[in-house]
Formats: sequence, structure tokens, C-alpha cells
Amino acid sequence: MESPEFHEITLKINGRVHQLSIPSNWTLNDVLRNRLDLTGTKRACDYGGCGSCTVLMNDVDVYSCSILAVEAQKKEIQTIEGLGDSENLHPLQKTFALSYAAQCGWCTPGMIMSAKALLDRNPRPTESEVRAALSGVLCRCTGYSSIVQAVLDAACVMRGET
Amino acid sequence: MRQELFTVGKPVPPIYGIEKATGTLRFPADVNLPNMLWMKILRSPHAHAKILDVDAAAAQKLPGVVAILTHNDVPRVLFGPYQNEIYPLDEEVRFVGDTVAAVAAEDWNVAEEAVRAIRVTYHVLPAIHDAESGAKPDAPDAVLNYPEAHEIQAGDIRPEQLGTVGNIIGLREGGPTVVNERGDVERGLEQSDVVVERIFRQSEVNAVSHEPRACVALYENGKCTLWCSVQDPYRLQDSVARVLNLPMDAVRVVATNLGGAFGVKVTGRFAILCALLARQTGKPVKIWFTREEESLDSHNRSALTHYVKAGANKDGSLTAIKVRTFLDNGYWPYGGLGQNIAFAICTRPIDLYHRCPNVKWEVFAVRTNRPSTGPYRGRADAESHFPIESVMDELAHSIQMDPIEFRLKNRIHEGDDLCSAPKKVVSTVWVEEAARKGAETIGWERRASLSTSSQGARKKGMGMAMVIHSCGSNPAGTSQAEVTIDSEGRISLFSGTADQGSEQQTTLRQMVAEVLGVRLEEVGGCNADTLTCPFDSGPFSSRTVYATGIAASRAAEEAKRKLLEGASLLLDEEDGNLDIGINFVWARSDSSKRVRLGELARLAGGSISGKGIYNGKNDQLFAYGFAAAFAEVEVDVETGEVKILRLVSSHDVGRAINPMIVEGQILGGAAQGLGYALSEGFYFDPRTGTALNQWFLDLHTPSILDTPNIEPVIVELGEPTHPFGAKGCSEISYVGVAPAIANAIYHATGARVTELPMTPDVVLKALQDARRSIV
Repeated sequence: MESPEFHEITLKINGRVHQLSIPSNWTLNDVLRNRLDLTGTKRACDYGGCGSCTVLMNDVDVYSCSILAVEAQKKEIQTIEGLGDSENLHPLQKTFALSYAAQCGWCTPGMIMSAKALLDRNPRPTESEVRAALSGVLCRCTGYSSIVQAVLDAACVMRGET
Repeated sequence: MRQELFTVGKPVPPIYGIEKATGTLRFPADVNLPNMLWMKILRSPHAHAKILDVDAAAAQKLPGVVAILTHNDVPRVLFGPYQNEIYPLDEEVRFVGDTVAAVAAEDWNVAEEAVRAIRVTYHVLPAIHDAESGAKPDAPDAVLNYPEAHEIQAGDIRPEQLGTVGNIIGLREGGPTVVNERGDVERGLEQSDVVVERIFRQSEVNAVSHEPRACVALYENGKCTLWCSVQDPYRLQDSVARVLNLPMDAVRVVATNLGGAFGVKVTGRFAILCALLARQTGKPVKIWFTREEESLDSHNRSALTHYVKAGANKDGSLTAIKVRTFLDNGYWPYGGLGQNIAFAICTRPIDLYHRCPNVKWEVFAVRTNRPSTGPYRGRADAESHFPIESVMDELAHSIQMDPIEFRLKNRIHEGDDLCSAPKKVVSTVWVEEAARKGAETIGWERRASLSTSSQGARKKGMGMAMVIHSCGSNPAGTSQAEVTIDSEGRISLFSGTADQGSEQQTTLRQMVAEVLGVRLEEVGGCNADTLTCPFDSGPFSSRTVYATGIAASRAAEEAKRKLLEGASLLLDEEDGNLDIGINFVWARSDSSKRVRLGELARLAGGSISGKGIYNGKNDQLFAYGFAAAFAEVEVDVETGEVKILRLVSSHDVGRAINPMIVEGQILGGAAQGLGYALSEGFYFDPRTGTALNQWFLDLHTPSILDTPNIEPVIVELGEPTHPFGAKGCSEISYVGVAPAIANAIYHATGARVTELPMTPDVVLKALQDARRSIV
């Protein structure tokens, strides 16, 4: 196999526009992690099986390892870094951090981004709706209960009910 | 110790929580350095072969390739936890996926292309694909070149690890690796009122840590720094120093946070080769495993076969346990420690059923041409409890006794001597309390009438299992800790343990804050950086909260003593009249007499520090963790599907330093145990040794839809050998789930499932066997 050729691309990530020259076979995950140092987005499986690499593309939760960077042009991409920081936590980040819903932390960014997509379209999910919406992201540490609870708690906060 | 506790026992938020939830925490895979090269590994397509020739000329010429290492280019130095791993690269390859060569290139595309361009000529050798075949006297050798075959410097290796007869690890001619024997097992069986005989088979399983292993190595000015996904940074430091022939202080390993580890992220070839390439190229080098590599180049739980025969009398006394176990060790058990796991398998369940007078348990730990096996969560006890707890259930059923009462009648008691820890006695045993509280939680009294609520093909049942597992009292390890107070009054804990997700630093800092009498927010520190933190054997065997906890408490005690001594002189008060609180040492009688902690540090020359060490080698008391698992299931007898209605995991934790973390560990362990029970197996082609399901989804770890809301139960009755009464509990909840579910299926259907994982086809076969035995 020949080494891939380079492409000039433009990506809009967390509201910022980036002009990049990248190999054509690079995924969005490769660009985030290795060109833009946005290493909050993880990878655990390489092929869309685990969900650790989940980001939002036009508000839909997608696997960044399964989208070529060239395909992500002209889309609004949001990563965990764009959701909030330690000074200004998103309610999901806060409930995950405080309730030990993030054990090793590897699936956490993907889990939170997938939960964000859910809460943006359904601010009042039931437990089974949370489980269905997060079923594309796997966790090896928690047994999931604390994650479901963190999402339900964040939904309450976002509705102004606490 | 004060009666009233301020921080210990509180569910304080984990210290790394915010960094994890904002994605700002840097794992080894997240380290990127300027001018960094990417490393890729060429892996063996054969289960067993000798490399005759490696032709890397074409690969070397590719633009962007900087260096290639083959077995001809690396120092022939042993490495690994006990210096008993053979060379960083060897001419013998021992499993499909073994390391053949390593490439460093300017990007990973080029590195991959170069790996494909390397031409290797192999002489294929006979291979061993399962333990029982490998144990036969005429079996070919699974591994030809192993450290015992070489001259080893005295002191490099512990004598009990030496010696192998054929593929069986151990010293006995043709015999088992380990045998645990007492009484007369044959007579015991003959004289039993009832005897149960079964064969159990368990598949190999992978830990499936979500972070694939990564290493970034930087070599500058004769010093090597590695950011690496390992639980044993000090052993990696030692191995890199040996292979690169550097003094220990020229090697620094940072392993502060890992994305899950579960016991298996240990010193390996990939990291040593990364360091060698960094030195050779003069540039930083990074390797980050693919999922396939993470599955293959790991340490799996062994595949096992157990031949079990056990007897009991009608009064509920256990009379005899006879087991012969074949353990597939893979090409190389972690650290060469095949004996250790074999020993734990045949002794711990016997300690749990201490009252059983007649025992013979033989374990054959056998080398095969499979990936390495090692200390995955619940090590040894997950392996042994499935057969033993299944047989206990059946014995209880045969004598029509309640399975809980039968177990409790034969259980271990405080002060009993231990065959799993010779010359030691068990300190506390809160297993009865765990079993009773768990039974109450699930509603054990409903069990008798549960079958009446079964509908059609869906049968309901309830089962339980009792468990013993290490809780940190492990004489093989050492933990050190240091607590410092600087001239600003800041308190720091330095500990060598990596946080692989169990947030031990939170728990350790809670203990330090409690000893010093300060608020948790005032305690900072760092962990698992060999440059700044004192030695720790690492977070294995649920040992951190116990072993490192004792070391950290001792360090804090020493620092406190120095603070009080300093304050006593300055304030002219007896030590006993002084107290520490919010940045000051105060005189109890007169609160205007006080001095800042920082001031005391300044007067002492800039810093006050206390050191603590724990190694339980000479302690006579040995602490064990105990648990009971309960499952309520619904079995579809037409499809073989098992639905978990309830899962209760009840634990003797001594004392929960942080109940939120303790519950989180119990839930996580039980969820992994659920995967081991129902869906997870790591399979290989029995003719070629090629992995069949090394990819993520094919390993079938439980998803959010497969995992019920597991119910944790915590029993806190203390443990006198720990300053706060704690026992480690991060693994034990894994162990009981599979046998509890198997016993619930038996209760629901009368079918005894003897194979893991209990996939629908396995359950259907058990149902057919049960029907046949009735006819």
C-alpha cells in the first residue's frame, strides 16, 4: 500500500475554525487527538464498537473513529473540551465528576457527549430512555448505575429543578 | 485513633473526577511530544516458530522509516517483574501475536507500511493448544527458550520459580504444579452420605481495559523517561534500566492515571522496545496498541478444566473435596508465576471451608502456545469459586439443607490457620454477616415459593455463592508513602500507586487528612511517578487501601509527631495538650496559643516529612475479604436465555473509607463478573492458535442494556490490622457472580451448568442433559 496523499481541509471544532493538511485516511479522531491536541476524545476499539470516541456532529452523537476527517468538513463538531472546563462545568460534567460515575475516565467523555445529545433532544428522559440512548457507549468500570443516575441528575439540574 | 472521624467514612467526591469529566486528564496515550516518532510492532502469524531470517532492507528504505529492531539488534537481557521474561525480542515466537520486530517511523501510516514490508522466514514448530494436551508426558515443548534454561545470576530469581517438567510448571516429575492435601480424601468420600461429581470448564477471558496500552519514551542526556500504561511503574523502571544498561535513577516512569487495568497492565516488551527505539533514534517514540494488540499482547484469565468430587454428611458437615485442575498458563504466565496462581487456586477455597477434614486438590499449570495469562481481577478465586460454589450448592441440595446454612456450618472462623498463607492465621471473618445481610436484601425467604411465579417456558430461581479473596494483606508486596508539610502549610501525599480507576488517591488522602486532623482539601500530592514517589509494588490484589493505606497512615503519624514536637517546644506545652486543626497546631487549654503548620515547617528548615512502610511478611495475622453474591434469574428453557432479575453483592469491607468509591468498586466488579458469567469468552482456533474474537464487540462485555441495577451491601465490622479497619474490596465482587447465577439456574430448572460463559447454547445443553438424566 502506498502512503496516503495529503488533503487541505477546514474543520469547525468547538466554534473554532482550523485549516489543516492531513493524510486522506485520517479519521476525525486522528485529527482531534494528534493534530489539535484535543485528547479528551478517546479511542478504545478502532472501529465503532465502544463509543469512547463519541463527539457531536451537528448535535448528533457520532463515533469520531468512524468518520474520515474530510467528511467532517462544513459540520459543527463539539468535543468534551467544548462542553465546559473546570471553572465552568456543564451539569453533566459536574454530576459525573461528583458521583464517581467516572471511574477510570476513559469512556467518560464519550458517555457525556452521548448524554448531551440525548438531553438536548429530550430534557426529561426516563431511566430506560437514558439506557437506550447511551447503549452505543460501553463502560468497563462502573456497572452503569452511577452513569444512569448522573444523567438523570444532570437533566434535573438543566430543567432548573434542583 | 480518635473515635469521631471527620473525613474517613465520608463519600467525598473523587479527586480526579473533574479532570476525567472534562477530558483534561492526561493518560499515557494522551502524551504527544514534538518530533515524536510512532512505533508499530510486527507480530507472529504462527503459534510456535523459530525465526530463521528477518529481511528488513525494503522496510528500512521506505521514506519516513527511522529505525527497525529485530532480535539481532536488542540486548540479550532478561527483564520482567522477576527478571524472568526472555529478551526484548527473541528468535523463538510462542503465540500468534508474539513480538517479532519493532519499527519507528515519522507517522503511523509509514510505520504500518514498514511492518508489512519486513520479510520473515520461520521454521514452524509443533504447538500446544490446550492445557490437558500439554500436560501429557510425550507432548512437545510449548516454549523452548525460557529463563530457567539459562544461567541466571543468583538472587535474580526466586528458587521456587525454577524448574519445569515438560510443559507443566513445577518441580515434580510428571506430577502437578501444586497439591494441597490433608486427611484422607478417598476415605472421606467413601464415608460420605452424599457425593457430587462434576467436570467444569471455563473459557479464557480478556480484561478488556478500555484504554489500549500506550507508551511514550523520551531519551535525553543519558536519561530515559516513559509515560506508560502500567500498574507496576517501579518494575518497568527496573526492566528498562537493565535492558538499556542504565542506573536506576536514569530511568523515570510515569503512570499516574490508567484507563482501566484490572491487574493485567504490567511491564511488557512494548515499553522496553519503545525505550530502546527512543535511545537509538534520539527522538521521542510513541506506541499505542490497537484493540487487537490490547487483546493479544495482554495477560488473560486462564482457560481451565476442573474435575471435582466432593462429599457431605446429612448433618451438613462437609467431608471431602477432591479436585484436579488443568490451568492453561499460555506461553508465559505473568512474571513466570505459574506456581503462585496454582497455589492460590487450590488453597483459598479450602481456607473458606476450613472445617472440611479431607482434601486433595492438584493443579497442573501448563504452558501452551496462547497469549500470556495473569492476575486479572479476582485472580485465582474467580477460577476456583465457580466449580467449588457450584458443588457446594449441589451438596446442600442433596442433603436438603439451605445452601447458606450448609456453607456457614463449614466456614472459616477468626483465628483459624491458613493453608493459603502458611504460618499465618486469619484475622477477621465477617462472612456470616455478609451472607445474612445479602440474604435479607434479596429476600431469600421468597426462594421456596419463587417457582410458583414462573410463567410458561420462563422459570425463576434464586442462588448464592460465598467468597474469599485477598484484601491487601499480601506479604509479597511492599508499599511506602511519604507525607510532607511545606513552609506554606501545604500537605502532600506521595504514593507509588497508579490510579487505574479505583481512585485510591482519594481514599489514601482521606486517611492522611484524618490522621493529621486537617480538611481533605488541604491534602494534595502526586502518585505513580518513580522520580518523586516512593516505591510501591502497585495496585494488585486489592492491596492499595490496605497496604498503601497502612504506609500512608504511618507516614502521616510520623509527620504529625514532628509537628507536635515542634509546636510543643515553641508553645511550651506538652504534646498531649496539643491538637492539629485547620492549618494550625493549637493548645487545647488556650486557643490563643497556636502556630501555623507552615511556620513549623519553616522552623524545621523548610519542610517536615513523615515516611511510612508496609510489608506484612512478619505479621502473624492475615486479613482476608469475604463476600456473598445473590442472583435471582429467569431462565427461558426454550431459548436458553438467562435474564438477571436481581443481583446482590454483599461485602465484608472492614470499614468503608469512602462508601461511594467502595460501592462503585463493588458494582463495577460485579458487572464484570456478570460478563464472565454470561457472555465473555476469548476464543482461539484450536488448530492454529489464532484468536477468533480479539475485536472489541466480539469480546461481549456487558452493555448498559445487559447490566441490571446491581445492589451493593456493605458490612462494616472492622479489621484490627488496619489503622482505620479497612479491607480492599475492588476485586472480590467479581468472583461470586458466576456461581451465584449458575446456582440460580439450577434452582430454577434443575439443570447444572458447568461451563463458562453460560451463553444460551451452553444453558440449553445443560437443560438437555438434565432432562436426559431424569428419563
